[in-house]
Amino acid sequence: MVQFSLPQNSKILKGKYYKDKSGSNNLKKVNVYRWDPSTNENPRIDTFEVNMNECGPKVLDILFKIKNEIDSSLTFRRSCAHGVCGSCAMNVDGVNTLSCTKSHSDIRGDLNIYPLPHLKVVKDLVGDLATLYKQYESVEPWLKTKVGQKTNKEIKQSQEDRAKLDGYYECILCACCSTACPSYWWNGDKYLGPAVLLQAYRWINDSRDEDKKERLKKVADELKLYRCHTIMNCTNSCPKGLNPAKAIGSIKKMLATG
Amino acid sequence: MENKNNPLSPHLQIYSWNVSSLLSITHRIVGVINIIAIIFICLWLILLSLGEPSHEFIQMFLKSFYGKFFTIALSWSFSFHILNEIRHLAWDMGYGFDLKTSQITGIITIFGSFILAILIYLFARNVI
Repeated sequence: MVQFSLPQNSKILKGKYYKDKSGSNNLKKVNVYRWDPSTNENPRIDTFEVNMNECGPKVLDILFKIKNEIDSSLTFRRSCAHGVCGSCAMNVDGVNTLSCTKSHSDIRGDLNIYPLPHLKVVKDLVGDLATLYKQYESVEPWLKTKVGQKTNKEIKQSQEDRAKLDGYYECILCACCSTACPSYWWNGDKYLGPAVLLQAYRWINDSRDEDKKERLKKVADELKLYRCHTIMNCTNSCPKGLNPAKAIGSIKKMLATG
Repeated sequence: MENKNNPLSPHLQIYSWNVSSLLSITHRIVGVINIIAIIFICLWLILLSLGEPSHEFIQMFLKSFYGKFFTIALSWSFSFHILNEIRHLAWDMGYGFDLKTSQITGIITIFGSFILAILIYLFARNVI
């Protein structure tokens, strides 16, 4: 059953207010979602006053500044800081994005940072993506060939066929799109979600793969695929500028036209 | 997860709206309203076949403020649903997924639905 409101233990309370100590005149108020698993308290929103005169250009720089200078217990995932690894995906100013590529100067007024939506929170800005990874595994994201088992030679692909993967192979599985999708919020246990379906399409669309029919059959399911209602939140949020909605549309079209 | 008490991160509460998500939910709500409206239209047709007294009863309702509101609102809801369904049809054929395109068609749908509703109204009033 769809539950629009948050469960009792997830209701967000007002948290602490960290006043600026540097005396800077260029301050930004940053509201960050906090939840500490070691206490029994509800999640809260902490507000930090951050001195923007001494801060890097990206939202991730703000988080680092808070962690280094104000509250070292702030928890978030990050790795490459260049929009390649997809670790620092979070909800910034109401839209899922990579905090390392999002400029804070794009955002007027206070900055609101939440974890990716509708996930079990592990701590602060870290959400539990275990379900999504399991679903990713279920589409068998690797090349399946019979030829490859017989020979050690390279399986060649024409430039045209290779170009068909453009816009799909770039996906870094940051989960911004899936966790932006209302359908995935309500049916995340059964619906595969945009990220996994884009990956499924990437393999269906690979000219070297010999398992296309099986792959299509596996994904053709009322819940797995057709929960997509083209809400387009996925495409709107993708920090890599990809188009999961189009990938899902292409799968649907393939199934319809045979 | 070890700890079953982990909270759920906020979703609807914080996610910002855009044209396509707004149209999507409106499409659903309007679809439900239209289905109910179609049932009423069927009832109306049945009542018409029952003769003059019931016909006059319907006329009375349709000429009242609520009746007028009802019919004008429905001409909008049907216009909207038809226009947005054309959008969905294009998507099903593989067109219009581009972010810019979908935004433009969305805005056209919003304005177009009002224009179409007004046209239906004027047409019904024999103005055009």
